[in-house]
Amino acid sequence: MTVLLALLLFLTAATGAGIVFSRDPRRQVLAIAGNGLALTLLFTALQAPDVAFSELAVGTAALPLLFLVALASVRTDRKSDL
Amino acid sequence: MTRTARLLLFAVAVLVLAPAGVVVAMNMPAFGSHELPYGDAVNSTIPAARHISNMVSAVNFDVRGLDTLGEEFMLVCAVTGTVVLLRGERGEKLTSHPAQMRGRLNAPRSDALVLTGRLMGPMVLLFGLYVVLHATVTPGGGFQGGVVISSGLLLLYLCEDYQTWRWFMRAGWLDACEGGGALIFVLAGAAPLCFGAHFLQNIMPLGKFRDMLSGGLMQIVNAAVACAVLGGFALVFLEFLEETREPRGDP
Repeated sequence: MTVLLALLLFLTAATGAGIVFSRDPRRQVLAIAGNGLALTLLFTALQAPDVAFSELAVGTAALPLLFLVALASVRTDRKSDL
Repeated sequence: MTRTARLLLFAVAVLVLAPAGVVVAMNMPAFGSHELPYGDAVNSTIPAARHISNMVSAVNFDVRGLDTLGEEFMLVCAVTGTVVLLRGERGEKLTSHPAQMRGRLNAPRSDALVLTGRLMGPMVLLFGLYVVLHATVTPGGGFQGGVVISSGLLLLYLCEDYQTWRWFMRAGWLDACEGGGALIFVLAGAAPLCFGAHFLQNIMPLGKFRDMLSGGLMQIVNAAVACAVLGGFALVFLEFLEETREPRGDP
């Protein structure tokens, strides 16, 4: 295992822990995107570019967007109820 | 459940699971060890048998094409369910006044964001198209290219306003793209049956090795998957973003 791979594995673990330890949902969404980016770098370093493409598009763009929209939707619903 | 009870439960779980975890970790193959007979078999036979150089595409679209068909329909079902749940209430109306809800700031886009988005958006779309077209020669393929293109569409949403984005994201086209992709996949599988071959058997001319159009039937299946994935993801984005819209007062 090279130094690069070790660093990237550590980065993945660190960003994953970041998701768990951030309590605010909006921060969690950004933490998920950060974790997706770390995974993308890891997959690229492990010579799996096709998985990296999917992870980059789904993990850092699609998934956070859907979560953000869901959060926004929930929040406005609460406001209109009051 | 009190905090003490939870900690107790945690301790019991660790006592039971930790030894098992250690045993598994000790018996794992070494990092980077190569014990993949299936991969070796594919690597040694497919280039000659199918004239293509991207083994992942070969496995997905040919060797286990039927599995991919199942995955394709899982995606279609998931997207259909989402669309049915979300679109039911608002119908098919086109006009939109997003982010006009009470209490939500409608911040104007900065020039930097607009410039970056307008430069990067079309390039991401083009790159996605490249990934789709070169499925049989370089890493990537229909699924990867489809998600790259749909994330490029998101970039266009970021740099334009919602109304412009909504204007060119026509649900009818995306529906057709998604369902049509799945249909073409099934037809591509069924067509060989008419010539006395097996389902999804690659009976088309295979083309030249390392040529963009090599792979025979895989080209059609790949294009179908790209269509379905692009349409599916774009539809989910559209239906979700429609949820940020003012529901009443729409003409």
